[in-house]
Amino acid sequence: MGNFFSSMFDRLWGVNREMRILILGLDGAGKTTILYRLQIGEVVTTKPTIGFNVETLVYKNLKLNVWDLGGQTSIRPYWRCYYSNTAAVIFVVDSTDRDRMPTAAHELHLMLREDELQDAALLVFANKQDQPAALSASEVSRELNLVELKDRSWSIVASSATNGDGISEGLDWLIDVVREEQM
Amino acid sequence: MSTHTYKKFEEADSGILPDKMTIYQDCLNAFNESPVNAKRCRLLISRLLQLLAQGQTFPRTEATALFFAISKLFQHPNDSLRQAVYLAIKELSAVSDDVLMATSSIMKDVQNGSDMIKPNAIRSLTRVLDESTAFSAERLFKSAVVSKHPSISSAALVSSYHLLPVAESTVKRYANETQEAVSDLKTYPYQSGTSEHYPNSTYIAQYHALGLLYLLRKHDKVALMKLVQQFSAGNLLKNQLAQVQLVKLVGSLLQKDPQLVTQFTPLLLSWLSNKYESVQLEDAKLITSLPDRFVSPEIFASAVQTLQGLLTVPRVTTRFAAVRVLNRISMVAPEKIVVCNPELESLINDSNRNVSTYAITSLLKTGTSNNIASLIKTITNFIHEISDDFKIIIIDAVRTMALKFPEEWKSILNFLINVLKQGEGGFEFKNSIVEALFDLVQFVPQSRELAFENLCDFIEDCEYNEILVRILHILGKEGPSMKIPSLYVRHIYNRVVLENSIVRSAAVVALSKFALVKNDPTLVESIEILLRRISNDADDEVRDRATISLEFIESIKSKEGASSSAAEDLLQSKYSYDLVSLESKLSQYMSAKQESFKAPFDSSSVHRYTEDERKAIDLKRKQEQLFSALPSAGKSKRAASSSQDAEKRNGSYAGPASNEVDQDLQSTKFVEELESIEELKSLGPIINTSKEVPLTETEAEFVVSGVKHLFKNHVVLQFHITNTLTDVALDNVSVGCTMEQEDSTALQETSTIPVDRIMPSETFACYVVYEKSEEVVTEGFLNTLYFTTRELDATTHEPFAGDEGFQDEYEIDSLFLTAGDYIKGSFVGNFSACFDELPHSEVAVYNIKENISLQEVVDKLVVNTSCLTLDNTQFAPTDSNSHTLKLFGKSVLNGARVALVVRMIKSSKGIALKGEIRSDDANLCNDVVDGLI
Ligand SMILES: Nc1nc2c(ncn2[C@@H]2O[C@H](COP(=O)(O)OP(=O)(O)OP(=O)(O)O)[C@@H](O)[C@H]2O)c(=O)[nH]1
Ligand SMILES: [Mg+2]
Repeated sequence: MGNFFSSMFDRLWGVNREMRILILGLDGAGKTTILYRLQIGEVVTTKPTIGFNVETLVYKNLKLNVWDLGGQTSIRPYWRCYYSNTAAVIFVVDSTDRDRMPTAAHELHLMLREDELQDAALLVFANKQDQPAALSASEVSRELNLVELKDRSWSIVASSATNGDGISEGLDWLIDVVREEQM
Repeated sequence: MSTHTYKKFEEADSGILPDKMTIYQDCLNAFNESPVNAKRCRLLISRLLQLLAQGQTFPRTEATALFFAISKLFQHPNDSLRQAVYLAIKELSAVSDDVLMATSSIMKDVQNGSDMIKPNAIRSLTRVLDESTAFSAERLFKSAVVSKHPSISSAALVSSYHLLPVAESTVKRYANETQEAVSDLKTYPYQSGTSEHYPNSTYIAQYHALGLLYLLRKHDKVALMKLVQQFSAGNLLKNQLAQVQLVKLVGSLLQKDPQLVTQFTPLLLSWLSNKYESVQLEDAKLITSLPDRFVSPEIFASAVQTLQGLLTVPRVTTRFAAVRVLNRISMVAPEKIVVCNPELESLINDSNRNVSTYAITSLLKTGTSNNIASLIKTITNFIHEISDDFKIIIIDAVRTMALKFPEEWKSILNFLINVLKQGEGGFEFKNSIVEALFDLVQFVPQSRELAFENLCDFIEDCEYNEILVRILHILGKEGPSMKIPSLYVRHIYNRVVLENSIVRSAAVVALSKFALVKNDPTLVESIEILLRRISNDADDEVRDRATISLEFIESIKSKEGASSSAAEDLLQSKYSYDLVSLESKLSQYMSAKQESFKAPFDSSSVHRYTEDERKAIDLKRKQEQLFSALPSAGKSKRAASSSQDAEKRNGSYAGPASNEVDQDLQSTKFVEELESIEELKSLGPIINTSKEVPLTETEAEFVVSGVKHLFKNHVVLQFHITNTLTDVALDNVSVGCTMEQEDSTALQETSTIPVDRIMPSETFACYVVYEKSEEVVTEGFLNTLYFTTRELDATTHEPFAGDEGFQDEYEIDSLFLTAGDYIKGSFVGNFSACFDELPHSEVAVYNIKENISLQEVVDKLVVNTSCLTLDNTQFAPTDSNSHTLKLFGKSVLNGARVALVVRMIKSSKGIALKGEIRSDDANLCNDVVDGLI
């Protein structure tokens, strides 16, 4: 049975079909932590990413090609070099970092204006919810001005990369949207 | 490069390389594809690398696009693709700063990648790191260095060499691990298993680790001593290169402090019988290049014996290396390798021509006046069998021999003439023979007649324009002063009749010089007739030259004072310009603003040399060439002279002795420096500039050296100060000088010029100016360096704001203004005749109690008197206890000649020295005697 379905998906999606996903966000937001929680299901110790990490993972029978780009100011200008053919963007926000919410909002809207990303779905993780000082998902949504977004499938999910809350919930939504759009 | 060879280069490239733009497009398309086709991408990268390796470049935007496309290949886990990606990143790192974007991905591979790609990843990592990111890689390097896998460890160690200039402190932090890597014997993990892909480990990581340790500790003598002690013990170093490295390490220690020889003697002796030939060689090379007095004759002999043994081994590279070392020794101490003559003689027929050539040249040097004739005979038979390159080496050896045994000029001349006239051989070879002949006629005047006669013969049938022109030039230059000048006129005129216009023009110039021959009016007349005939030549240049020469001759004959002597000067000039300064003055003139062209170029400020001075410089250059041919021996012998300064600056430990050309360049540089200083402009032209003398140890915190410049009425002391500290700047740096003769009134200090700030590892000069009377003044200056130290903020590299600094002073060695500073070395063809004719004479006797060698006394005398050594007396024989040194020079103030004959005898009590000084100028005589030692 299982075999039958997966081969049916293969046929539907094309055998070697891969989905390209970018994880973006300011430095220290938790992007790398999320990437490896997705890949190996554990919290790894991270160093600030100089450049990017790329991993291929299979999620719900789907091959995901996930790019985690560094968020430091010096690296942000290079994000655009990796935009082409992107199906979805995961934007990670450190919900405890109130001071830099405007910066995060600015970078987010700047990125979404790019031609190459017009068709990409957007998932925002309001991350670090395990911290007491964290803003709620709706507060983060307001800070980021998400309601302004037109013509785009988007969602915001409260998450914690350290204890895993919200991560698969967010990703499930993303996969569904992308699959729908592409079918 | 001739047009011929240039074309060849072009052809080599065309057609074979793939098209650049096609590759570029293919790369972008394939690398951005998803999913990645690993095989195709790898192929494309190899094409790209081929392009880059051929020196092709991409504009910045394209290089950047390429890099980002390549970085996308990190998504593919294929190891062999990854290796190719790393190679490409390494290449692109040179053109694009964006490679930093690969940092995290590379680090991940260094940490978790397979053993196959780890070494590649490590090597790329060093290319993308900068000072700020290096520290985050420290742990990675640390664990790679201690990795049990030899390739990984080696990659990390070798990469660290490249990291050193970027982030020294990071590398220093794993010095302990590096030390561990020396003693750790790493083998490939699957060695005992079934895989045959891994070779046996050679323990090469030992070599890499030892090399890195040396770089980290090279300034710390004690640490280096410890290293040697630790790694020479037992059988710790398995790797051959590591052992060689250890020998070199000892070599660098001995270079700085030859006293250590006694301590290292057992080690040096044991290496002579090491199981590796390369270790034996390196050791023998080291021993034979140490200063004489530190090496006992026994050890030296053992080293020579080892080399002798290596001359007969099967491995040709070893024979070559051994004979090369022997060849070096043969240049300064031929008597020490005479024992090897039987082996050397049998090597003449060695199947490898490099080996046989060196064997011959060594034999030529060990030759004595007794066997020169027979050696010449051997090479006459031999020289036809070898290629031009080797012929040239041999001609060079013969040439030095000509300078060494002037009395053997006849057989040498015959040999040279023979090989010159025999048909075979290309231009370079023939030219080298002519070069040797020119040397001979220049420095061995007795040989001129015969040499010119043969050269005249030779030009009757010579296929090379360049050589013809050179010979015509020398005939014109020297011919008029020969016994029968008319002999040469016919040969020169023949050229006008028979050759092309280039040669004809040269012949016209040569001919015209014969019009200057005094007391032979018929000759002058026939020259005029000939020139007049040439004035109808078909070629413009030839005609013009003939016409203008006739014009000159006319005005000489009219004997109108100034214009006549000017014409004479134009026909046969008595001086030549210092080319280095002429060039720099001219380019200054050309690059200055338009208005400077209003005034004609002023050649009076360019230094000029008379014929004798030119010869002196030439001879000196040739003598120095002997030294530079043997790097370390020459250097240690010249310890007292200028050659050291250059080395001190660049801190290398095996640089050759600086030669006279550098000296010229240096004084020109000084002149420019001084001219650019407002306060010194009024002093007029520099009359003489001394060599640079070190005034501190080279390891001192502040390395200072001094130079003396003489002006007509002033002396300027120039002090070069190098700040070797890493975290302190020096502000308001000046040197205070006190005169030894405190009450002397001959010198008056008029001003000092300080330096505002010297940052770490910078060098600047400050000056002290004295007014002086016009005659020779000698003086000693006691010097102190004054400065304010300002600590530097490690992040900004600026002094901390508000830090006032700390005033300090630092005593440096004294600088002496001696009689030698008023003398310039000069050449004289017949020294003894000149010595006898000089009117004033002084004699001085000294007893030197210090334990120094005759050679060191010779060097010291040369430096103190600034004279040129003549008659091959610049080397003290090592097999005798006595030596006679002949020196000659001229006063820079009035041109008075000074000639010295210094006899010295070495005994157990020291060195007894008797110097006889003769001069045109009695005062100079006195001054030189006083400042001799
Ligand atoms: N408490 C808490 N800490 C988190 C969470 N997610 C990430 N962190 C921590 O935040 C720090 C930064 O995480 P990274 O994943 O390296 O951040 P990044 O977004 O990759 O940062 P850059 O690579 O510099 O752009 C780490 O110390 C993580 O352990 C979270 O959900 N809760
Ligand atoms: Mg990260």
